[in-house]
Formats: sequence, C-alpha cells, structure tokens
Amino acid sequence: MSEELLRIEKVGKRFGKITALQEVNLTFNKAEVVGLVGDNGAGKSTLIKIISGYHTADSGSLYWEGKKVRFRLPKHARNMGIETVYQEQALAPDLTIARNVFMGREPSNALGIMQEKLMEEESMKVLRGLGLRIKSPDQLVKKLSGGQRQGVAIARALYFDAKMVILDEPTIALSVKEVREVLEFVNQLKQKGIAVIFITHNLHHIFSVADRLVVLANGEVMTDVRTENSSVEDMSDIIVKSTLGALV
Amino acid sequence: MNKPLIRSTSYRGINTTVAFVGVVLFFSVFTPNHLFLDSRNLSSIARLAPDLGVVTLGIGMLLIAREFDLSISSIIPICAFIFALLLEAGMYPLAAFFVTLPVGAAMGFLNGVIVVKTGLPSFIITLSTMMFWRGVLFGASRMMPRAIRRYFPANSLLNNAMTMSVGPIPIQILWLLFFTVILGLLLHKHKFGNWIYAVGSNQDAARAMGVNVALVKIVLYTLVGTLCAFAAIMQATRLGSFSATQGARYELQAIAAVVVGGASLRGGVGSIGGILLGLLIVKSLENGLILMRVPVFGVEAFIGIAVILFVILNEYLNRRTE
Ligand SMILES: Nc1ncnc2c1ncn2[C@@H]1O[C@H](COP(=O)(O)OP(=O)(O)OP(=O)(O)O)[C@@H](O)[C@H]1O
Ligand SMILES: [Mg+2]
Repeated sequence: MSEELLRIEKVGKRFGKITALQEVNLTFNKAEVVGLVGDNGAGKSTLIKIISGYHTADSGSLYWEGKKVRFRLPKHARNMGIETVYQEQALAPDLTIARNVFMGREPSNALGIMQEKLMEEESMKVLRGLGLRIKSPDQLVKKLSGGQRQGVAIARALYFDAKMVILDEPTIALSVKEVREVLEFVNQLKQKGIAVIFITHNLHHIFSVADRLVVLANGEVMTDVRTENSSVEDMSDIIVKSTLGALV
Repeated sequence: MNKPLIRSTSYRGINTTVAFVGVVLFFSVFTPNHLFLDSRNLSSIARLAPDLGVVTLGIGMLLIAREFDLSISSIIPICAFIFALLLEAGMYPLAAFFVTLPVGAAMGFLNGVIVVKTGLPSFIITLSTMMFWRGVLFGASRMMPRAIRRYFPANSLLNNAMTMSVGPIPIQILWLLFFTVILGLLLHKHKFGNWIYAVGSNQDAARAMGVNVALVKIVLYTLVGTLCAFAAIMQATRLGSFSATQGARYELQAIAAVVVGGASLRGGVGSIGGILLGLLIVKSLENGLILMRVPVFGVEAFIGIAVILFVILNEYLNRRTE
C-alpha cells in the first residue's frame, strides 16, 4: 500500500497582483512517480519551489512524513531529503562535474579543505549507477550534453539519499535519445524507493513513467488521477479546456 | 602543484605563462644594456609591485564571484591616513597596524552589505563609495602629506616586517607570495573557494544548492578591504609618509591585471596563479617600457593595448573550450 510522504494543504502563493497558486491540496506517496502537467504559467514551478524551500507559501501548510514542516530555505528541504532539479538548471557550468555534484555540501576536513579525491570517486560512482557514461569527473559541466547535465543534477539527488526528487521539465530541449536517458533515470529513482515529481509539457514522456498525473491550471488542481485510468488524449483535453475556461 | 590546480587554470594558465615569459624575454633583450634583468631593477619591481599585487589578489577573487570593487583606490589612502594619525597620536606602530586592518575590513564589509542588500550592480555601488570616501579623505587630510618615518626607528618590528630584505629578496614580494599561497588554498582547495566559483558561474544554482551567496560576497568584500589596509601600511612604511594619492588608479589597474591573468568579467573563471602572473605581466610591461624610455603616456597606451589583446585572446579561448 502507498505510504504518505508529503501532504500539502490549502497552499496559496501570490506574486504582487498575480495569484500563482490558490488553495492547492495534494498528497505525494513514497516511491511514487507523479507527473505534474499544465499550461505555461499554471503554477507548476511555483508549487515545487515552495516544496523545495525556494519560495515560502503565503498560506496553507506542508506535512512531511505526517509532521508539519516549514521550509524557509532550500537547505531545510534538502535536510529532509527533498532534492530539486530546477527548470533553469541548477548547475555551475564553469565547475567540474564532481564540484557540481557536491556544490554547497563539499565533504571537507576540519579546516574546510575539500576531499577532492572522495568527491571525484563518489560522483563517478553515482553517475555510473545512473547508467551515465562520463569520461572523467574533472570535465567542466559546460562541455556536457543536455542529457548528461540532467544526469549530473540527478546524481546529486541520489548521492545525498533523497526521499523525494523533483524534476522541473528535465526533458526540455533534449534529443530523443537524451529524453530516453532521463526517463531511465526516473525509473532508477523509483526502483530505489524514491518519490519523484516530474513536471513536463510532453504528455508522452510522462505517461511512460508516471504512476499518477496531476493537472494544474491557473494555480488550481484540475485533476489528480492514476495513469492507468487515463490517456494522453483525456489529459490534453483537460489541459486545453481548463486553460480555455479561464479565458472565457 | 597537483592536478586540480592545473585543471582550474587550464588553457588560460598556459597562455598567461607564455605571455609572461614572452614579456620577460622581450625586455631582457631589448632594454638598454639589458637593464630589465639587472638585479637592482628586479629588486625594485619586487619591492613596488606587491603594493598593487596584494590588493589584486582580492580583486581577482571578487571578479571570479562576478563582483567589482572600484572603491579600493579610496580605501587604501584612508587606511594610510588613519595609520598616520594613530602614529601621530603616539600609538605603538604594531598596534597601529592591528587597528588599521579592521578599519579596512569594515570599509570592505560595508561595500559587501550594500551590494547584497540593494542587489544593485557592484560597479555602481563601489563607484559611489569610492567617491564618498575620497571626499571624506580630502576633507580630513586636506590632501597634505604627513611624514611618519620618525615613528618607527630603522630597526623597529613593523619597519622590518614591511621594508626589510631577506638576503637579496625584498620582503614585499615575500608578503605577496605569502598571500598568494594562503588565498590560493582558500580559492582552490577550501570549500569556500568552490562557493566563490559557484556564485560567479551561476548564482541562482549556488543559492538553490544551499550556498549562502550573500555571505560569500560579504566575506570577499571584507577580504579586499583588509588587503587594502595591509597594502596601505606596507606602502606608507616604505615611503615613510602618508600621501593622499596612495592607491590612485589601483581600481582599474587591478582589474587590468586580473583580466590579463585570464579571469573572465562574466565570473566563474580564473585562478590565483593567473592573477599573480597577470599582475607581474602588467608591472613588467610598465617597468620595461619605462626602461626603454617610452614616454609615460606611451606606457599607458601600451598597457591599454595589452589588456585589449588579452581580453580578445581569453574570450576566443573561452569560446573554443565551451
Ligand atoms: N518570481 C516571480 N515573480 C513574479 N511572478 C512570478 C514569479 N514566479 C512565477 N510568477 C508568476 O506566477 C505564475 C505561475 O508561474 P510558474 O512559473 O509557476 O508557472 P509554470 O506552470 O511553471 O509555467 P511553465 O510551464 O511556463 O514553466 C505565472 O503567472 C508567473 O508569471
Ligand atoms: Mg515552470
């Protein structure tokens, strides 16, 4: 049976005059892949930025493993085991792979001197675990392909024992082969018992990996269904109609 | 040096080294009587270049984090002025030294806090603080030099620490090397160094990954302020006086040296070795051209051209490695 990991209750968020989210209620379970879809500006990124502590909600509450939590900084969410791969990739292109994997959490001795050898070995290990072929952890991230970059960002989540990994449009601007790689990463995470929230505009991508689908429109949850009870056609219909509904 | 240090200097490290060797060879051959290589000339470079050099290390680290500090040309003379006042008030020179350092640190800290809190470009913020402090300095000092030699006898501790020679080597260059090693460890080996690069390369990513971006910037500005205070005292002790023109135009010379050393104005790229070499290149150019009797305006023009050539070369190499 599914076990609850994160529950959000009546979460609202405004940016000035724009209401990005209104009274959103959702539950995410352990080892479950949830696809979060919806038109541009629906509030998907805002929602996951609240879950990951990048934004704070104006109203409502978050419950992590049944306990009420308040994430005021990304650090707080990460300490709980929530790792986020942002739409605007959270990688520093001028740094090496190893230094990116450990960015902000560099293993170091008492004086703060980094354990570079450990960083290189461990990042190689997780990347291989994801099935990513990388020549050397010394490579600069700016020289990697889009799929490889997503791999590096996901490797970070894996290494730090995440319980939940959030992917904001991880397949955007990727080639067909790279998309397959990323979807394979998602399967790997699920097999390791990690919950995944996967944001995308491509319903075909999400149908192949998600257990459940949530449609957001104008900051509200329109639908929340199990993937097997739905189809790509149904979902695109809902997305289009809910957006049109707002325009009328 | 071990592998990671070489990697982080990469191509640019190599071309900066080639340029340095080229400049040295050129002047060794073409200065009258090979004066450039004369031990008195080398020792003069080693005594004078560290004034700018010590500060340049901090400016380089700041630029790697994608920030500027134009106010150094005012922080330096203010620190020298305060140092002189303290000596005149009868303070023991070493004590005056330790009081002046935090004054510089505080001025740097103030820059950092304003930059972080306003979120405005540091170019504008530090241009403003530069002008503000310069006004304060002019008002307070009335631009009059102050002789301070009599406050530290020839063999006093501070005088020795700032102006003596170790064998044939002026202590100033040893101070510069000392700061290079310490700051190099911080930049390339310490996790704080990784945060500096992360902030310069992608500030949003750094923040999302839990790096305290504001802290990194404030610490760097404070470091620059502290280095300014050190350079100010080193210079004032050597000159035996405070002069209101100390540090004049350092703000731009430091950026020139850092850029020649391969750092990118877009942040995230650069190395401590490159910064040091960039400084030595700029200073050697200045020295060599003067020895070749190029008039002063010509020296400036040549350095200007050199900086442009380096920026073009670095951009080209950067694009090629992308
Ligand atoms: N930092 C911000 N400041 C002001 N408005 C914002 C901010 N972030 C988001 N918004 C607004 O909130 C609304 C929801 O944006 P959000 O980024 O969550 O949408 P999204 O569903 O992720 O869209 P997309 O599919 O285009 O990424 C939009 O109207 C957007 O303009
Ligand atoms: Mg979005």
